[in-house]
Amino acid sequence: RASGDGKPEKFQPPPKPVIIDKQKQRAERRFLSPEFIPPRGRTDPLKYYMERKDMIQRRKVFNIPEFYVGSVLAVTTADPYANNKTNRFVGICIQRGGKGLGATFVLRNVIEDQGVEICYELYSPRIQAIEVLKLEKRLDDNLMYLRDALPEYSTFDVNMKPVSRLDHEEVPVNKLQVRMKPKPWSKRWERPKFNIKGIKFELPESKMKEAQKWSQPWLEFDMLREYDTSKIEEKIWKEVNEELKK
Amino acid sequence: MMPIWTKSGEKHAVTLLKVQDCHVLRYVSKEESGGRTAKLLVGGKNVSPFYKPESAHQIFKEAGVPRKQKVTTFDVTDDAIIKPGTPLYAAHFRPGQFVDVTAKTIGKGFQGVMKRWGFKGQPASHGQTKTHRRPGAISTNKASKVYRGKKMPGKMGNVYRTTFGLKVWRINTKHDIIYVNGCVPGHTNCLVKVRDSKLPTCKKHNKNPPFPTFFADGDEKLPEDLFDEEIFQFTDPSVTY
Repeated sequence: RASGDGKPEKFQPPPKPVIIDKQKQRAERRFLSPEFIPPRGRTDPLKYYMERKDMIQRRKVFNIPEFYVGSVLAVTTADPYANNKTNRFVGICIQRGGKGLGATFVLRNVIEDQGVEICYELYSPRIQAIEVLKLEKRLDDNLMYLRDALPEYSTFDVNMKPVSRLDHEEVPVNKLQVRMKPKPWSKRWERPKFNIKGIKFELPESKMKEAQKWSQPWLEFDMLREYDTSKIEEKIWKEVNEELKK
Repeated sequence: MMPIWTKSGEKHAVTLLKVQDCHVLRYVSKEESGGRTAKLLVGGKNVSPFYKPESAHQIFKEAGVPRKQKVTTFDVTDDAIIKPGTPLYAAHFRPGQFVDVTAKTIGKGFQGVMKRWGFKGQPASHGQTKTHRRPGAISTNKASKVYRGKKMPGKMGNVYRTTFGLKVWRINTKHDIIYVNGCVPGHTNCLVKVRDSKLPTCKKHNKNPPFPTFFADGDEKLPEDLFDEEIFQFTDPSVTY
């Protein structure tokens, strides 16, 4: 610390340590349920606003957890004809459809060698509880091809325990490639219009090449089909969060 | 259109109708109109006054109201006359009432006989020469003429039609929205005329309406949302049996 001047240097305090709170950083993950985003159309935005108010009101009373297509859920509904007046169904979510109050999700399971799919409405008052047993995503948005896959991929234990996970972790993506039953299938899943990544196609090369004949490569450049929802999502996310905190 | 659930868990579809700037424009007495009852002219939805001549603005200036897109007549009894210029609100109707809705149907343009009148047409194969969607025979030999009103191709839609007996499930007084059961003629955001139902089975449900109409500056303070008794409100917990 040789100072050339000979004068005493002014005391420089050490730089303050920057504390990075890792918990706060991780909690920035946002999830807005897809039924809040309004579809493209000529309807008055007031209609979507009224629907959103009702949806938020329902969410304040009843907890609708975050889940994706590919997560395993258990749903208890009120059933007037059952013993306990309740009916519990466990299954993997294969599709989430509808917008607004009519949003639905389809759960699939194989019970005693019979495939069963039930379509539930998210905001129906007959649903008494929705638990997420396993939260994960898959490679596709729509798992309808599980109907033509081997039954082992759709069977889930009815008394399965919920898989524990930490809150701040990213939702895991299950890159499982599913093996199919022999053709014919209910839909020609190898065609590019379905754009399925989660099937392990064991078809000969000639069939895969022939399926590419139906590809429409111009679709991704079609500007009229673009629907950028980022700004709408921001606004709705703020609105929904503020209302839910009240 | 939106789903709505009852307290027993059944789902019904509901159409939302907005009451946008409705004002009473003129009172026409029974003798003047030549009908059985007096009439009230009512206008809806404000619109720019610059696209019509001054003569068309006469009614609106007398009532003191901006130019309206649509003016309709309602038949009224003498005790239900309202002063021209009063605004009409959605709270004029109450949940549980029955209502008739009139509107112009979606225009489909010039349509053939199969779509317009539901004719069966002809088979697609087995030797049919250029005849798959045609009307076929239009009259008999003995008649030796075609009757008036014969169903033939023509312009379909864009006509006033009414659906009767629709139940009002819910009223929002803040935004003036009426939730009406089932579907309603017309495209989205079209203008619609809503009247008390004329069906005899609905008369007992329409008793005690706000008479002659709901006045906003009156003493009655209504809550923001008025629900029918059977509706499941989202503030309640889930339905159990």
